[in-house]
Amino acid sequence: MTDGTRVPDLDDEPWYSGKATRRRFVGWGGGILGTAMLVPAPWQAAFGAEKAYKIGTLQPLSGAGAAIGKTAMVGTQMAVDRINKSGGINGRPVELIIADYESKPDVGRRKAEKLVVEDKIDAHQGGSLSNVCLACMPVFEEQKIVNMIGVCLDTTITTSKCSRYTFRSFDYAPAQAVAFAPYLVGKLGKKWHIAYADYAWGQSTRDAYADEIKKVGGQIVGTTGIPLGTADMTAFLSKITGDFDGLFGIFFGKDGITIGNQAFDLGLTKKYKWAGDGAIAESTNLPALGAKIEGFVGINRYVPVLDAPLNTPSHKKFFDEAIIRLKQIDPSGPLPDRYVQSNFEAMNALKIGMVKSGFRGREDTNKLIEALEGLEMKEGDDFPQGDKTLRKEDHQAFLREFIFDIKGGKHRIVEVVSKEKTMFPPACKFSSSS
Amino acid sequence: MRDRHALIYWSGFTVILVLLIVAPLVLPEFWRRFLTEILIWGLLAMSSDLLIGYTGMVSFGHSAFFGIGMYGAAAALLSVSPPSLGLAMLYGLGSSAAVAAFVAYFSTRLRDIYFAITTLIFSQIFYVIIFTWTEMTGGENGLTFARPKLGLPGMEGLPFTSATLHWFVLALVTASYLILRRVTQSPFGMVLQSIRENETRTRAIGYPIERYKIVAVMLSGLFAGLAGVLYAVQNRFAAPDFVFFVVSGEVVIYNVVGGLGTLLGPIVGAGFFLLLREASSRFLTEYYLIPVGLIFIAMVIFLPQGLLGFMRRWINR
Repeated sequence: MTDGTRVPDLDDEPWYSGKATRRRFVGWGGGILGTAMLVPAPWQAAFGAEKAYKIGTLQPLSGAGAAIGKTAMVGTQMAVDRINKSGGINGRPVELIIADYESKPDVGRRKAEKLVVEDKIDAHQGGSLSNVCLACMPVFEEQKIVNMIGVCLDTTITTSKCSRYTFRSFDYAPAQAVAFAPYLVGKLGKKWHIAYADYAWGQSTRDAYADEIKKVGGQIVGTTGIPLGTADMTAFLSKITGDFDGLFGIFFGKDGITIGNQAFDLGLTKKYKWAGDGAIAESTNLPALGAKIEGFVGINRYVPVLDAPLNTPSHKKFFDEAIIRLKQIDPSGPLPDRYVQSNFEAMNALKIGMVKSGFRGREDTNKLIEALEGLEMKEGDDFPQGDKTLRKEDHQAFLREFIFDIKGGKHRIVEVVSKEKTMFPPACKFSSSS
Repeated sequence: MRDRHALIYWSGFTVILVLLIVAPLVLPEFWRRFLTEILIWGLLAMSSDLLIGYTGMVSFGHSAFFGIGMYGAAAALLSVSPPSLGLAMLYGLGSSAAVAAFVAYFSTRLRDIYFAITTLIFSQIFYVIIFTWTEMTGGENGLTFARPKLGLPGMEGLPFTSATLHWFVLALVTASYLILRRVTQSPFGMVLQSIRENETRTRAIGYPIERYKIVAVMLSGLFAGLAGVLYAVQNRFAAPDFVFFVVSGEVVIYNVVGGLGTLLGPIVGAGFFLLLREASSRFLTEYYLIPVGLIFIAMVIFLPQGLLGFMRRWINR
């Protein structure tokens, strides 16, 4: 049943050398594996035989927190590439060991153990979800490894649950509240209603703002907790009425988009002044919020603009490179956000501490801690966001904050609060065992 | 013939037990801890096998029993200084048994998918309570606490090392297995299996099946709570994520992969699944769940009786 044409014999083809046998498969597999092992890692060509510093990074690259984790990774990877290109740390390259914890604390805990016990990392930089950061902190404490957090915002990380081995080189809610409350009360109104995501971060941030607004002469007339992930907030928002000046929102991610849209639809943002945590209007949220977020006033440690005081060459360099890298993970080409910025700077803070302490490896962890405690970080290529101080008493950084509004679908800085005006008293006691 | 089977079974059991006892002496630190964790997840899976495999009731509430056991232990470990292992066990088991009784009372009136949905709803109710009651439970961040000392008679004050913790967990998992095995082979266990095969007929014979189901759910919840206590002791934290129904779903997967109605199968399933996930995550950083999912689908199609069922069939060939 042939049509007369000759079926070409595979043996005639130049690329074919016989059937695939197990022996051939094992042979080729071994050859490829061997070749892969012989090819040096990218940094080896530049650094010769210098032993690399192993820096571990835990991120949620899958699961509910994947979007934040991937964005955070951009910042860390950018910093590591820049460090390796400019001669490494103390003449040694940095090898980044990445672990995905699926946005789950049990997996995070296990991966943290893998990094410290099996990969034998010298230090850790990363962490995005606060609950996973808190679950992993005892592992770093037990193994005496410096843990430089990149995103986790929960207040307790540097207060009631602080650890001698953990540092946060970016802001936290109490500092933002100290920075924002005078503006809220002085320029927007005295009476406020707070709507917040009803879980640990939302509740602690609510308390911080309530305290600070009262301290500067304002008043909290009511609070509304909305469960995390509520798709239809109408039932909660429709109850927000009465005599007050402004509605303050504490939400992030898709909850930020939901409240932004639904508060507008219910007329709340027209009736009252509309302000809140900067996470509501993060650059990644703006396309989904459209014109409904127009006029929103927020506070953030980072806003993706090139206006003063962020019109520096250092920030321009960071901004341009971050855009290119973000486009590789998200073709829509989002602007850099605070997750990219804080991870980039956290890795650089770690680098400066390692240089300052002459860090050789884990055995010098105590020296590294001493070098990081009270570290002054100066605005420049390492810290494009601005100057910062890593406080010795609680390992919490203080930095300038940007009060912004949304105009024409873009962030616009309306006031810059210096880091000195964001100070909040330390509330940390390092455990005696650490 | 039966004696020969028993001899093979117990010989195999002893060999595996000896290997598990020796394991911490030869395994590197990470794998030693990982093996202990597998045993804990295995215990949770085994507890649910009593319902899924023996009674024919698919439960999505095991995350609640596991999580409540964990939070019960956490409450004990945070409220007493120095932390007490005995008290952690007491609080953990007591709270999970109480919750299991509460869930059982309402859910066992229903069958099949309705039972599964009811248990799922209960687990979500407990999840929301734990997630939002921040002052008491730590909310989303959970609770962290110190690990208690061993506290066994004659070993008071001895701190847990990864090896001693492994042996402690192994002892409890082995004891749990032997107890559950005895239960499933007892007249009570036979009634449970009868309910699984034909609930209407079992009722017609005169068995008060609701009571049997309530006891089964309570017993199952108690052992799930024990797994929660052990997890808290090993990892020194409790988080609401463990109460979320997804954990129950994973437990069902361990049962299916290992072999339903075998008790040991779910432990094998937990080990297989966790090892597979760990191994593939080392090569495919963020995409590793794709091959894990494909392998799971292949196993359901080609090994419907699970790993232990397949092994049993292969031995009997």
